[in-house]
Amino acid sequence: MAIVSFPSSILKVTNLAKSFGGVKAINDVSFIVREGTVTGLIGPNGAGKSSVVNAISGFTQVDRGVVELAGHDITNQAPHRIAARGLIRSFQIARELQKLTVLENMMVAPFQQLGESPWRALISRRAVMREEREHLAAAVDWLQMFNLFPLRDEYAGNLSGGQKKLLELARALMAKPKVVLLDEPMAGVNPTLTKTLQGYISRLRDQGVTFLLIEHNLSVVEAICDHVVVLAEGAVLAEGQMNELRETEEVISAYLGG
Amino acid sequence: MSSLVFYLLTVAIFFCIYSIYGWGLNLQFGLTGILNFTYITFVAIGAYFAGVAALQPGNGGIGGQYILGWHLPFPIPPIIGGIAAAILALLVGYVGLKRLRSDYLAIVTVSVGQIVWTLIGNITPLFNGWDGLAGVPQPFNSIFQLDFNHYQWIFLVICILFAVLGFWIIERLTHSPFGRVLRAIREDEDVAAALGKNVFRYKMMAFVIGSIYAGVGGALTIAYIGAFNPSGFTTMETFIIWAAMLVGGSGNNRGMILGAFIVPVLFNEGTRFLPSTPGNPLLAVSIRGMAIGLLLILAARYRPQGILPERKTIFRLDGLQQGGEVGGDRVVPQ
Amino acid sequence: MEWNKRARRESCDVSLLLMGVGFGLITASVLAIASVGLTLQFGVTNFVNFAYGEFLTIGAYLAYFFSAVANLNIWLSMLLAALLTAGISWLINRVVIQPFLKRKAPLLILLVVTIGLSLFLENGVQAIAGPSFQQYVTAPGAIVNIGPMIFTAQQLVIVGIAIVLMTVVHLLLKYTRIGKAMRSMSDDPDLARISGVPIQRVTDLAWLISGFLAGLAGVVLAINVTSFTPALGSQFLFIIFAAVIVGGIGRPYGAMLGALLIGLVTEVSAMYIDSAYKTVVAFAILVIVLLFRPQGIFTSRGRV
Ligand SMILES: Nc1ncnc2c1ncn2[C@@H]1O[C@H](COP(=O)(O)OP(=O)(O)O)[C@@H](O)[C@H]1O
Ligand SMILES: [Mg+2]
Repeated sequence: MAIVSFPSSILKVTNLAKSFGGVKAINDVSFIVREGTVTGLIGPNGAGKSSVVNAISGFTQVDRGVVELAGHDITNQAPHRIAARGLIRSFQIARELQKLTVLENMMVAPFQQLGESPWRALISRRAVMREEREHLAAAVDWLQMFNLFPLRDEYAGNLSGGQKKLLELARALMAKPKVVLLDEPMAGVNPTLTKTLQGYISRLRDQGVTFLLIEHNLSVVEAICDHVVVLAEGAVLAEGQMNELRETEEVISAYLGG
Repeated sequence: MSSLVFYLLTVAIFFCIYSIYGWGLNLQFGLTGILNFTYITFVAIGAYFAGVAALQPGNGGIGGQYILGWHLPFPIPPIIGGIAAAILALLVGYVGLKRLRSDYLAIVTVSVGQIVWTLIGNITPLFNGWDGLAGVPQPFNSIFQLDFNHYQWIFLVICILFAVLGFWIIERLTHSPFGRVLRAIREDEDVAAALGKNVFRYKMMAFVIGSIYAGVGGALTIAYIGAFNPSGFTTMETFIIWAAMLVGGSGNNRGMILGAFIVPVLFNEGTRFLPSTPGNPLLAVSIRGMAIGLLLILAARYRPQGILPERKTIFRLDGLQQGGEVGGDRVVPQ
Repeated sequence: MEWNKRARRESCDVSLLLMGVGFGLITASVLAIASVGLTLQFGVTNFVNFAYGEFLTIGAYLAYFFSAVANLNIWLSMLLAALLTAGISWLINRVVIQPFLKRKAPLLILLVVTIGLSLFLENGVQAIAGPSFQQYVTAPGAIVNIGPMIFTAQQLVIVGIAIVLMTVVHLLLKYTRIGKAMRSMSDDPDLARISGVPIQRVTDLAWLISGFLAGLAGVVLAINVTSFTPALGSQFLFIIFAAVIVGGIGRPYGAMLGALLIGLVTEVSAMYIDSAYKTVVAFAILVIVLLFRPQGIFTSRGRV
């Protein structure tokens, strides 16, 4: 499939391929994510959605293909390097830092904190503390937004499944990412909060944050995704806007049959 | 001086030294989740290098075969010991820390322990082989000219100074953003990496800083005893420190002080009075080893967090400049 | 003249080399038995047993008891010792390890437990048997010359035992249902769990086999080094690690090849350098493999 390179594409995946043993988890996948949009990534279970997210974020080494972030080739780079370029991912199964409190989970996220250098932590105590206060203010804002503020001093391991997903999302946003890859962020989150989250994602998008969103609930996808990529059996099945895709026969059969 | 005072002074000195050891191991394991099964080797390297930095040039004869022999005054040998341990940690970490699974570093440390022990014993020109170093000068005693009994007081003061400094540094690191990243790595390396932290680099820093504690502790040990040889750094010594950490509280530097008091004192001193049978001269030592091993297992089983568990970090939130209404205009907090 | 000297040295080198190969085959045999035992257990349980060296020690001392105290034949003693070590290994898994797994203790804690166990067992053996050197009272048997390689009959038996055991392990993994279950747990634990592999039975069996091979390896190691102390196993452990990692951890066939490689290289190098340093050679190989091919040199993709 020929890909037209839009000047505004911030994430571009070209001919990505990855096999696990005999399983072709990703089989020649190409798509772009344009800056300031919410792009949906949908498909039946085992379609390879999480594998694509892992490949983009550097957590799996791909066999073939290229991943570009804002024009830079980031294929198979170390995850922390990719993250440092402003691409933050969440995990499908929430991975909270269990023996850190909710607030500490948030405080880990900001990049290049002064006090992350042991030397600075020792000698520039005042500057480190000042920076901590700034991050703390931001963290508190996010936690309030996600209804997690009352739980701020709880160990993250003690949260409920839905709360963990929220924390994961809040933590990703705390890192001030340019591009966010969210692997089923709303699974296990109650419907009211799901609605609220949709609102936040749309609003963040309007502020220039780009999202690649894996989501099973198609009405959510329809509500917030500007563009949708449908995966099945490791390959791109169709692409377009959700309301068009709903009519597409292949998509229907992949979902119903798959 | 009464023998009781002498004894108590010795215990106090070793208590300080074990605390220093423990903080280093705690940084590695308690905070970062790094398995160093040969911590004592870093102690030994610190001790040896501090020893040969403080000794007169070796005469090359019996008992006098060793490198350096720089005859440096006191605060310098511990620094050299710390640097030597740090360099060993860099090498070991480079091989063992890149792998994702924690078993690999553990395997590398076990192997390094064996190799270093064999090499130091067999290559006599390094540190006088199996006989080891002896006659290492006592810090400042060329000035004080005290007998060993009275010198104990001076050395205790030196140890307390080192321990206070060591505690101050380790506490600052533990409760800083640096310590937070280390704990994040301990909980889940992938998450730390996904948030842009260079996991290898941080683990390396924790490993090296922890090893500096080992090296400096070793330097104090050789300065105190005046001698050091391969029987001073057997596997069992590593696990006395491990047991102290697990019992006291891994991840808690105060707990570590408690553990340094309970375990080495209890075990080294308590089992000292076991009878030594003529048929089995090492029976007491063997029983001590069994007890340490059992203690490790039981601590891991019944109270892995230790007597004083890691403390929860509670941030004070008063006076924060907050971003106003929830769901207000400013969605991305500044 | 210069050329002449080199030629002479080379012909000398060749026989030295072959002699080293001879020793290497024996060490490789001992190492193969030990390494396969460690790696099989790792494959199934997915953690390294740092007390494995002590399983060898226990085997060696049990055989010493049977042969020197109870006056049994050394090979019979070896068999009994191996069986008993298998039982001890099984028991240790059930009593010490399983409670941690049931509570889903983290890997770090589990490794600390096995190292605590190693300290306990080594010192336990030392408390009972004493720290001094022991030796089996056996005749090494007739000398057999194969080219410049010299073997004792006993050494040839060791090589034979290793070959038989490796074949048995191969047949077990390849053709029995439980062996296939072991392999599937090793390849993909989650998949094995879902597809109804009897986890408990396979785990029990893995510890039994691992203990049996360790006990046996301990005896042949003790025969091979002639005299031994309670540190026998712990000092050999990292050479086992080297073989296991060279072959790819958790992979029995890799461990066999790794054992062959490490055995040959260490013994051949001992012909040219002080043999006190042959462990250094094993260590160097371990380091090189960990740096450049941590998944093992005989495997294409790894589980690191
Ligand atoms: N680490 C892995 N090892 C082996 N197979 C994998 C691995 N990760 C994913 N797969 C396989 O790749 C396919 C795609 O999986 P995944 O990306 O998780 O799908 P999705 O997220 O769309 O449900 C599945 O068949 C899965 O079994
Ligand atoms: Mg998925």
